[in-house]
Amino acid sequence: MFTDLRSFLEKLEQEGQLVHYRDEVLPEPDIRAILRAAADLGPTGPAVMFHDILGYGDRRLVGNVHGSWANHALMLGMVKTATLREQFQELDRRWDSYPGELRWVDQAPCHEVVLQEGFNLLELLPLFRVNPNDGGFYLSKASVVSKDPDEPASVDTENVGVYRVQVLDAETLAMQGLPFHDIAVHVRKAEARNEPLPVAICLGVAPMLSFVASTPLEYAQSEYKYCAALEGAPMQLTKTTDGYLDVPATAEYVLEGELQPRVRVTEGPFGEFPGSYSGARKQVLIKVKRVTHRRDPIFENLYLGRPWTEIDTLMALNTSIPLYKQISATMPEVKAVNAIYQHGLTVIIATDSRLGGYAKSVAFRAFSTPHGISYVKNVIVVDGDVDPFDLNQVMWAMSTRIRGTQDVIVIPSTPGMPLDPGSDPPGMSCKVILDCTTPVPPEPPMRDVAMVEHVPEAGAYAGILLELQKAQGR
Amino acid sequence: METTMKCVRCLEGTVTVVAHAPDGSGAWEIYRCERCNYAWRSTEPPNITDPALRDPFFQLSGRDLDELSSPLPLP
Repeated sequence: MFTDLRSFLEKLEQEGQLVHYRDEVLPEPDIRAILRAAADLGPTGPAVMFHDILGYGDRRLVGNVHGSWANHALMLGMVKTATLREQFQELDRRWDSYPGELRWVDQAPCHEVVLQEGFNLLELLPLFRVNPNDGGFYLSKASVVSKDPDEPASVDTENVGVYRVQVLDAETLAMQGLPFHDIAVHVRKAEARNEPLPVAICLGVAPMLSFVASTPLEYAQSEYKYCAALEGAPMQLTKTTDGYLDVPATAEYVLEGELQPRVRVTEGPFGEFPGSYSGARKQVLIKVKRVTHRRDPIFENLYLGRPWTEIDTLMALNTSIPLYKQISATMPEVKAVNAIYQHGLTVIIATDSRLGGYAKSVAFRAFSTPHGISYVKNVIVVDGDVDPFDLNQVMWAMSTRIRGTQDVIVIPSTPGMPLDPGSDPPGMSCKVILDCTTPVPPEPPMRDVAMVEHVPEAGAYAGILLELQKAQGR
Repeated sequence: METTMKCVRCLEGTVTVVAHAPDGSGAWEIYRCERCNYAWRSTEPPNITDPALRDPFFQLSGRDLDELSSPLPLP
């Protein structure tokens, strides 16, 4: 559907979901403020293309590309009014097409211009300080490619992940990798040998690749093959100019470099996805050796702040679906998983109950998925006929089903997500279960209360009422 | 290129000019501290560029940078 960022931007424009900002803006604070405003427009907020950034000449920047559910639906080839539940179901269906096909192309667009030396990343890319107290200028939507040093021929263990990257100077970057990220495996192996790790930092990639690169896949699952599977079309790749890494052929920019072994430099703070700053840290260092880009490239970056911002929409259903697949594989009663809140720190699971206490078992399963071990902190379990994406329904379930004495469980001293302010010390946390399901045997029933019936006939009338409302509004 | 400035965050490091507005307008420069890697643009507001007005929570003066935590420890 969308083989590159440009074709997606065209679609967004046709649908009224991309606006062009042509007045001159200051890199700080204007870009941040405008992208914040785009995020605040909510489920129909547009992407914003900046054409006149003070000092950057004709360099273009686009933000908020994934910043609304409307844009997210368009990425999936759905109508922009598709509900979150509908988008979840569509992704659930496509997910099983893995692995998709890969194709390597010659004369890739990302190689139209090759800069071997003399480039300055701080001048080449129209960067802006994302949040006021960030430690510098960041690539906040970079797809970082690296290979397992033990398996250089494997595309499956080649990783594409979105990690925060601070641009330190003309050709030097600092990057955050966390121990549970796939790239940490690559770094550890390269550093054990005291060898540099080749990396390619891809900017302005097709929207589905940004989506997949921020998905918690298993180590040996290929992001590129998932991207192809979800797109329903082969993923077009090319080699980096040294022939080692595979990169998306249509990326706007590719920064080819090497992670320096056993070097740590001061990086951060950075305003992170929980809506709080992570402190200054010692992080890995990357030397960029070469930059390739398309002609007239578009720089894509992401504003993230207090939720809800673009990162919340980007890391929403791609967190929900893997959790749903992993949990429902052995628990077919599970109907849907809503893990859109802060990369799954809070998860709402809708399930039927096989037996008494089953909701707790479902929660334990969520906590023990690969992503869940560190990230999933609060699990709210609701009955299978409650839509976990409709918070009105979820709050109703919580209001009327929770019995505080037995349905609120806290498990102390568990792994936690270090960037979560509630994780103290960073990396330690607790797990919370809120069981909002209706008890089934052998658990004793709630006191004798009958639920009001669903009204299946209502569906047919919704369209009629909308038509009447529209006609009256004329 | 070195300047005579000290870092606005750690107040110790030597500051270099690492970028100029690429359109040649001279609209701004970017400075970077070689010690703590803080970077800022000359056009940013004083609560970023003036140590006296910066939020003390984010200052690194007097901090031993080697003591900062490392999410990926050295092997």
